Amino acid sequence: MSEALTGSPVNPDAAVSVRGLRKVFGKFAAVDGIDFDVRRGEVFGFLGPNGSGKTTTIRMLTSSITPTSGTISVLGEDAVKHPDRAKLRLGYMSQKFSLFEDLTVDENLRFYGGVYDLTAEQFAERRAYVLRMAGLEGRESELTRNLSVGWRQRLALGTATLHSPEIVFLDEPTSGVDPTARRRFWDLLYDLASNGVTLFVTTHYMDEAANCSRLAFMYRGRIIADGPPREIRESLLTERILDVSTGDADRSLTWLESADGVHEAYLSGASVHAVVEAGLSPETLTARLVAAGFADARVVPVDPTLEDVFVNLVSQQRGA
Amino acid sequence: MNASLTRIGAIVVKEFKHLIRDPRILLAVLVTPIMQLLLFAYAISFDVRDLSTVVVDQDQTPASRTYLQSYTSSGFFKVVGSVDSVDAIDAVFQSSRARVAVVVPAGFQEAVDRGDKAQVAVYVDGGDPNSARIGQGYAVALNQVAGQKITATWAARQGLDLSQAGRLDVRVRTWYNPDRSSSIFLIPGLVVVIIMIVTVQQTAVTLVRERALGTQEQMTISPLRKVELMVGKLLPWTILAFVDVVLITLMGLTMFEVPLRGSVLVLAVSAALFIFASLGLGLIVSAISPTLETANLIAMMLAFLPAFLLSGFAFPLDSIPLPLQWLSYLFPARHMVDISRAVFLKGAGFAEVSGPLGMLAVYAVVVLALATVLYGKRAR
Repeated sequence: MSEALTGSPVNPDAAVSVRGLRKVFGKFAAVDGIDFDVRRGEVFGFLGPNGSGKTTTIRMLTSSITPTSGTISVLGEDAVKHPDRAKLRLGYMSQKFSLFEDLTVDENLRFYGGVYDLTAEQFAERRAYVLRMAGLEGRESELTRNLSVGWRQRLALGTATLHSPEIVFLDEPTSGVDPTARRRFWDLLYDLASNGVTLFVTTHYMDEAANCSRLAFMYRGRIIADGPPREIRESLLTERILDVSTGDADRSLTWLESADGVHEAYLSGASVHAVVEAGLSPETLTARLVAAGFADARVVPVDPTLEDVFVNLVSQQRGA
Repeated sequence: MNASLTRIGAIVVKEFKHLIRDPRILLAVLVTPIMQLLLFAYAISFDVRDLSTVVVDQDQTPASRTYLQSYTSSGFFKVVGSVDSVDAIDAVFQSSRARVAVVVPAGFQEAVDRGDKAQVAVYVDGGDPNSARIGQGYAVALNQVAGQKITATWAARQGLDLSQAGRLDVRVRTWYNPDRSSSIFLIPGLVVVIIMIVTVQQTAVTLVRERALGTQEQMTISPLRKVELMVGKLLPWTILAFVDVVLITLMGLTMFEVPLRGSVLVLAVSAALFIFASLGLGLIVSAISPTLETANLIAMMLAFLPAFLLSGFAFPLDSIPLPLQWLSYLFPARHMVDISRAVFLKGAGFAEVSGPLGMLAVYAVVVLALATVLYGKRAR
């Protein structure tokens, strides 16, 4: 998909459209020429390991840093030439907790209400909405410092959307939050999306990636795959994934890495996942493992998770 | 424009709320100056009275006795005894029995009678430079008051304390302070020092803290402009700095009877320029500091040391080494101390302080421009 976009002009109808985007720090290309479009109303998942260039990209999209080269269109506005134009229409929530901890819930909201120059009526209405959404009704005068992480996260989302933005950029919004709170947070994101708000979410939680309508995988400053989650999973069709459990995961990993027909092996939980060619059946592999001394070897086929896909993609990149 | 004011207002309100939530800062800004004022005014006194003095009367005539009597009755000197020879003075200084020695050589009476200039020698223990200088000043004044045709020969003698290396260049200095009370001299300067510390330190820290919290990034993405953020952040400190000026001035006027001979307007205009210059310095510090600790340290170096040592608020600038004197021009404090003292004590108006006032204005413009450039670079 990205190949098709390369060299084409930005799409002003898209929520975000990026062409040939690069950001170089010294000699290091944090973002090394990426192209993508985010459609309006989409939940766009921007994935990749730490340091792959996700945050740098988001910071360029929100005009807090300027790109070395390339074009960016956000909500139809040129984010490089006119960084101020889209500002009133976009929201941003960073991985850091960006509220003032020594101010109350209400004071934080009021501050951003002032920054976005909301009228008294607008503010009253949005404030009520945010408090309801974050479940903070009745706790308006509590210091933000005293809220638990999950509440803070929801309040941060609330302040980021106080001015009813058309697109919200979320940079690892759920890092450090427990699974229950993460689930609740995603419910809020779905609510926003159902109201037509475009969401651009970076994450390294693969289970969250499955919640997105479209994904882009970032690795070492480049997008190495993009598309809907299902499509990305199916891109592995020429291979299959087998879950191998033996008494000794480490030793079986070593054996699998050099075994015939095994393209890739890596630890996954307590067992080892092996990416094998489509013709290699679980029974054959079990027999070979037993013959190699893994008496209690058990091999079962598994549906590739996004994590499997990702590991596979990264290893292809390394091999290339 | 209206939206701009709303945004600045939002920041000012937020900043004051931060202050209310963290009373330590408010305490540091409003109570510390009062403490400093009391400390400096009461504990650190440069007043010198009853300087212990020995006399060496080698003439032993009515004229010499009358002359020496004037020391006893002055109140500034306390004659603790007499010795026989100039050589004996060393021992007296060594044992700290006296800090001043007055020598009337033989032939004093004759010279006075002839109408010639009579000579006396005053020795001062240089081990305590402050007393030495003042003692010398008193002696000069005394001799003039006495109206005698006497040339005083000066010798500042190094005290034999070996830690006092180097010979002190002691000069005569006229004190603009008829009562010779050091608090009157110190307070107009202290106002300046305190403002400098409050503004530079606090501005530097407040902006870096914002950056460290990650809240700055949130604001960068908002429609808030950098200038609005700067103005909104600096306004509360400007107000507090002015509160400090008023507070210290009022305390000075009432508790320490510091005269305010000049106009309040001159003082206010100069203070405003000075505050802007200091805020600019604080901004520069915040722009170049990666962390809160660095900001604190640099602000300390930039505000505290120059304010105390290079402003002339306590230590006369003409007695410090020449390179340091040049350095002192790089900090706004010395100009403001000049103005403050001139307005408070000498009743100077705009015309009289136009020199340092112009320097302050130039300084404020340059520093604020530089700060804006640096800050802009930093935020990008």
